[in-house]
Amino acid sequence: MFLTISRTLKAGFQNFYRNGSLSVAAVSILTLSLLIISIIIVLTITANLGLKYIQDKIDIRVYFKSDTEESKMINFRSEILKYKEVKSADIVSKDRALSEFKANNSNKPEILKAIEAVEENPLLASVNIKAVDPEKYDVIANSIENSAYKEDIASINYQQYKLVIDRFNSTIQTIRKTGIFLFILFSLIAILITFNVIRMTIFNHGTEIEIMRLVGASNNYIRLPFVFEGIIYGTVAACIAIILLIPMVKVVTPYIIGSAYVNVVQTGFTTYFVLIFLIQLLLGTLLGVISSLLAIRRYLKI
Amino acid sequence: MIEFINVKKTYGSGNLIATALENINFKIKKEEFVSFVGHSGAGKSTILKLIYAEEKPTSGEILFNGEDISKISSKQLPYHRRRIGTVFQDYKLLPKKTVYENVAFALEVSGYPSREIRESVPQILDIVGLSNKMGSYPHEISGGEQQRAAIARALVHRPALIIADEPTGNLDPISAWGIIQLLLKINKLGTTVVLATHDKDIVNNVKKRVITLDQGRVIRDHSKGRYAI
Repeated sequence: MFLTISRTLKAGFQNFYRNGSLSVAAVSILTLSLLIISIIIVLTITANLGLKYIQDKIDIRVYFKSDTEESKMINFRSEILKYKEVKSADIVSKDRALSEFKANNSNKPEILKAIEAVEENPLLASVNIKAVDPEKYDVIANSIENSAYKEDIASINYQQYKLVIDRFNSTIQTIRKTGIFLFILFSLIAILITFNVIRMTIFNHGTEIEIMRLVGASNNYIRLPFVFEGIIYGTVAACIAIILLIPMVKVVTPYIIGSAYVNVVQTGFTTYFVLIFLIQLLLGTLLGVISSLLAIRRYLKI
Repeated sequence: MIEFINVKKTYGSGNLIATALENINFKIKKEEFVSFVGHSGAGKSTILKLIYAEEKPTSGEILFNGEDISKISSKQLPYHRRRIGTVFQDYKLLPKKTVYENVAFALEVSGYPSREIRESVPQILDIVGLSNKMGSYPHEISGGEQQRAAIARALVHRPALIIADEPTGNLDPISAWGIIQLLLKINKLGTTVVLATHDKDIVNNVKKRVITLDQGRVIRDHSKGRYAI
């Protein structure tokens, strides 16, 4: 058993490097397929990460009229927190709003000057509400508008966000759907092409297989070198694909998407790097092995 | 050792059936040297293929050491093949392996330990007279030498039977006679030899048993036969 495996493993490696051009063809086709598939995976992952990132940024701000007492806002907050759609609610006092405003505009001296010119703090206190699910902001905004506090509320800045949120949600849906479609399509193409290339390399070994059968090699002994060859194809292709993918993600993404988003994509990519490589490795070897097994079948019939 | 009982073999199906062999009966004893002769298409090769189970008979039984190999399973087939050495007109050597590697290959696939391979291969190459060509590739040596290498490969796992299908078909008369003498020597050492040929001179000079085939039937079976059709 050990002898069979060591001998067929050696034969698999020999096949791989002695058939230079065919191996290169098989590996490059496999690499291309893996690359396309992993780009689709990266896109889907980053789309999901982007969704999460923007979900965290989205909130509803309920601004209270400037003469509202703080105790009212505390009551409002505790009432809002009872809604099951609400994840969190924070009170931002006038003073905090001012200091945040100054921090955000620290590089625009004319704005700071204007703020200082006004003696009284012009900003309003607010309660920032985050929802569990971005699709629930509608419900939350509606119930606040109809609550007992509506007399004290100056404004709710939900409507201006609504359009952005909706558009974002539908974009994510589209990316997911096309991602799955492309994934299936390219996987099929990859399987077909890889199968054909490997069939060609095995066809090249026709006489060798015939001789192996004549001298009494068992079917497993004939099959294993090609299985190992398939594994080698898959492993090499996965390694090349991941090496090509790194610069693609690092260099190309900043040109395609906005700079705020790049960080998200790249940290996401680093986190999922191992996962993507494992998927490539698994997919590559599986493709190689299955193609080999299918292609060799007809040579093993009596 | 080998017995054919009412063996029939047809190829194709429906209206296109071609009968290759019909009503074939014969016995080959251990350590015999048997030549099958006949024109192309007489059925020589088919009989040999039935013996090493490359083909299965349409009907009838083929006994090898008493067991019926006409219904051999694909799992058992490799073990059957290891009892037989085969030699062909086109040598069937692996072009990318040296003479030594080609012979060793037969042992490797059968799972022989490496130490035994290192001992047996030079011995057998010595018997066929190729000790000095061990490291050569098939395209670097003559046809006669290639056929000797093929015989070495067929012999190296010490089979009880050697099947030679037109082994001299591609060779000049002198190399051909060398190959036949090698087969006779192997036979003398105790291996059964089954030879298919249409070379008249060879058959007449060997003076061993000859089974003559014509259009898929045995028409003559003489123990000290001559080539006569």
